[in-house]
Amino acid sequence: MTGQSIIRCASVLCLLLPVSLLAQGRGGGRAGQPASPKAAAPVDLTGYWVSIVTEDWRFRMVTPKKGDYPSIPLNAEGRKVADAWDPAKDAASGNACKSYGAANLLRNPGRLHITWENDDTLRIDTDAGTQTRLLHFGAVSSSTGVQTGEPQWQGVSVAQWELPGPGGRRAAAVSGGDLKSITTHMRPGYLQKNGVPYSGNAVLTEYFHRTVEDNGDSWLIVTTIVEDPQYLTTPFLRSTHFKKEADGSKWDPSPCEAQ
Amino acid sequence: MKLRSFTIAARCGLVVVAAATAFAQSGNDEVHALQVRPNVYMLVGAGGNITALVGADGVLLVDTGLARNADKVLAAIRKLSDKPVMYIVNTHFHADHTGGNEKIGATGSFPTGGNVAGDLADVGKGAEIFAHENVLNRMSAAKSGVPVAAQPTETYHTEDLRLSPTFHFGEAVQLIHIPSAHTDGDSLVYFRRADVIATGDIFTPDGYPFIDLESGGNVNGVIAGLNKILDIAFPDFRLEGGTMIVPGHGRLCDIADVAYYRDMVTIVRDRVQDQIKKGKTLEQIKAAKLTLDYDPRYGTVPGSTDRFIEAIYKSLTQKK
Amino acid sequence: MRRLIRRWAVSVSLLAAQAALAQVDFSGEWAPRFHEDQPERVPGPELGDYLGLPINEAARMRANTWSASMMTLPEWQCRPHSADYIWRGPSPVRISQEVNPLTRQVTAIHAEWLRSIDRPIYLDGRPHPPDYAAHTWAGFSTAKWEGDMLTIYTTHLKEGYIRRNGMARSDKATLVEHWMRHGEFLTVVTIVTDPVYLTEPFIRSTDYQLDLHQQIPPYPCEMVQEVERPKGDVPHILPGENTFLNEFPAKHGLPAAAAMGGAETMYPEYRKKLKTMPKASPEAAKQ
Repeated sequence: MTGQSIIRCASVLCLLLPVSLLAQGRGGGRAGQPASPKAAAPVDLTGYWVSIVTEDWRFRMVTPKKGDYPSIPLNAEGRKVADAWDPAKDAASGNACKSYGAANLLRNPGRLHITWENDDTLRIDTDAGTQTRLLHFGAVSSSTGVQTGEPQWQGVSVAQWELPGPGGRRAAAVSGGDLKSITTHMRPGYLQKNGVPYSGNAVLTEYFHRTVEDNGDSWLIVTTIVEDPQYLTTPFLRSTHFKKEADGSKWDPSPCEAQ
Repeated sequence: MKLRSFTIAARCGLVVVAAATAFAQSGNDEVHALQVRPNVYMLVGAGGNITALVGADGVLLVDTGLARNADKVLAAIRKLSDKPVMYIVNTHFHADHTGGNEKIGATGSFPTGGNVAGDLADVGKGAEIFAHENVLNRMSAAKSGVPVAAQPTETYHTEDLRLSPTFHFGEAVQLIHIPSAHTDGDSLVYFRRADVIATGDIFTPDGYPFIDLESGGNVNGVIAGLNKILDIAFPDFRLEGGTMIVPGHGRLCDIADVAYYRDMVTIVRDRVQDQIKKGKTLEQIKAAKLTLDYDPRYGTVPGSTDRFIEAIYKSLTQKK
Repeated sequence: MRRLIRRWAVSVSLLAAQAALAQVDFSGEWAPRFHEDQPERVPGPELGDYLGLPINEAARMRANTWSASMMTLPEWQCRPHSADYIWRGPSPVRISQEVNPLTRQVTAIHAEWLRSIDRPIYLDGRPHPPDYAAHTWAGFSTAKWEGDMLTIYTTHLKEGYIRRNGMARSDKATLVEHWMRHGEFLTVVTIVTDPVYLTEPFIRSTDYQLDLHQQIPPYPCEMVQEVERPKGDVPHILPGENTFLNEFPAKHGLPAAAAMGGAETMYPEYRKKLKTMPKASPEAAKQ
C-alpha cells in the first residue's frame, strides 16, 4: 500500500465516522470537562406521562380487601403484617402515604411529571399522592446537598445512565440507553395499598426505558425490583408502563389516601 | 313462464355479479402465485382463488377465476410451468371461479385413447373440465349464456370422484360433493398426497359465507362442508400447518382457520334459529344485531351482514 | 508515519465494525415471574373480567357469549397461546440465537415456550410475507435493535385472545414488542393493535428471571373426544343469556359496568368515576 493510498483510505474512514465519536460529549463544558448527566442523557425522559392500567387493575384502581395479595412473594412475617392492616390507624398516625413510598409510588394510577431539578438531578413528581422523587446522579453525600438523615417515603435514589454497547460504553453511532436508579433509606411502606409491607431495609432498583412507536405514541417502561429479605421470599419484580402526554392539562393532584 | 325464467336467470346473474364484486381480491386484479407445496400453488387476484397442481406433463387447475383475468392467470401459470393446462376442476358454477374456463382450457389438451382417439376431430383438444353434475346443469341452462367450451366435460353425481394418480401427475385428486352448501353443485378438491384441500366458496375467511339460495345453497350445507373439511384435514403439531387449505377467497389457511370459521357460522346459525323459535320475523332478527361480535371481522362489505342473516333465515324456514 | 496511519485506519474500521454488533444477548432459560396478575395468568381469569382492556362492543359481545366448553372441542384442545398472549401465560421460555458463522451476525432469535412451538424472529432484513400468505400462532416477526433494546414487529397472527376468558384478538391484529434485559431480569413489552376488537393499542409489560436450572420438557398434545356431544355442536351462550357475568364484580365489590372494560377503564381519571358507580349486587350474582 503506498503512502498516498494509506492517507486517502484514512481520510475516507474519518469522513465516515460520526462526529460524536470524535467529540468529547454534547454540551460539554470547558475542554476536558465531562458532560453533565443532563447534557449526556442518552434518552429524554422529561415531560408528562400517564399510567395506563392494563395490569393488576383491581389491586391498583381500587383498594383490594385485606389479605388479597396473590401476586406478591411474601414470607410468613410479611403475611402476618399484611393481615394486620388497619387503614384507619394508618390515617390517624400520619401514615396515609405508606403506599406512596418509592417502592410502590409508580403503581398508583396517576400522572408523572419528569423534569431536571438541576444538571445532576432528575425529578419525578406524581399527582397521585403529590409526591416528589429526586434521582441523583453521582455520589450522594451532604456535600451534594442531598438529605441522608431520617428515612423518607421516597428514600435516597442514586441514578446512572446505562449506555448500549460493551461494558456500557456507547459504541459509535449507536443510540439509546436507559436510566438505572437504586433507592435505599426508605421509610417502611406498602407494596400494595392493602398493607403489604416493605421494610426500611428494602432496596429498590429501577430501570427506566422510553420507546417511540411508529404511530407516534411514546411509552415509559419502568422495571422495578424490590429486595427485602425481611418480608419477601424472592426479589419482587414488576414493570409499569406510562404513555406520553402532550402537556399537563390533565394533571390532577390528590392527597395520599390510606384506603 | 318465459318471464319467470328470465327473472330467475336475471337474479342468478345478479347474484353472481354480487358475489364477484363482494369477493374481489384486489383493486387491480394482479394475479400472484404463492407456493403451498413443492408442486402446488395458490393463485390470488383472478377473482376466486385458483389452485394449481404442477406436474411433469401438465397443469391441473382448481377453478379459473374471472374471464377478464384469464390472460393474467395464464401468464402466472407460465412462470410455474411451460406445460399445458390439461385439467380444470370447478368447485362450483359461479363466474368468478369458472370465467376463465374457455380461454384457459383452450390452451391445453388431455390424453385420450381407446375408442375415441382418431375418430372425433376435437377429442383431446382443450383441457378436461371436471365438476359436479349440478355445475353442468346450471352452466348449460338455456339462459346461462355460458359457452359450451367453458362447460364441464366430465361430471359426477355420487359422493365423490377420484382421479387416477397415473393420469394426474402422480397426485391422488378427490372431488368430494357437499350437497346444498354454497350452491347445490359444490366440490371440495382434495389433493391427498400433497395434503391440500381447495374448498371453493364453502370457506371464505375474508367475509361471511355467501349462500346462494337460488342455486340450491343452504347454511346447514355450508356448516356440513366446513365440518367435512375438519374431518379430512390433519393438523401438524399444536394445530398448525399440516393439511393446507385454499379457500374460495382470502388467504392460505389451515385447520385452525377453518375451525374458527366453522364456529362463527354455526354460532350465528344457532342464534338465528333461536330467534325463529321465539317467533321473530326476519326484520326483527336483522334488527337484533346477532352478528355484532363478528361484523367488524366478516361483515365489512356493505350489505353482507343482512344478506348472511337473510340467507340463514331462509335456509332454516324454507319448506323441504 | 505510514505505520501510524495504517494503525489508525485499522482501529477506526474496527470501531465501525463494533458498532454494527452492539446488542444484547437474550439467550437463556427464562422463568416467568407472576408478581403481577397472578390470578389471571396462572389459574385463569374469571368470566366477565374485562378490566383495563380497551375493547369495543364487538369484543364485549364475543366474550359475553363465549363458553369455556369450547376448549373441549378436539379442534381446540391443542391450540397454543399465540405470540402476544404467551408472555402472560404460565410457561417458561427458552431463547436462543442463530449466528452466521462467517459474519458472526445474529440472523435470528428463537423463542420457545413450554406449551408452544418455536417462534423465529428474523434480524436479517427479510420482508414480511404478502397478505395472502398463511397466518400462524407465532406470526411472522422481524426485529431491529434500538440501542440495547430489541424491537420486534409481528404480522400474520392467527386469531387468538388477549385474556383467557373469551376475549378474542383477531387475525387482523399486529404486534410490537420491546425486549429489555438487565442482568438476570428480562422485561417484555407487548403492544397489540387490533382494528377489529380494540379501540386503542393494548400494552402490557411482563417480567422474567433467568433460571440456570430450568429444563423445558417436551409437551405433546393429542386431540381426543372429551365431551360427548352431537357432531358439529359448537358450545356457546346465546346473547343476553350469560348468567355468570355478575359474579366477578360482585365478588370483588366492583361496579358491573367497570368489569365490562373499555378504554376509559385504563386511565387514572376512571377512579373518580368508579366512586360514583353502584357496585354489583351479590344477590344478583346468585340468580
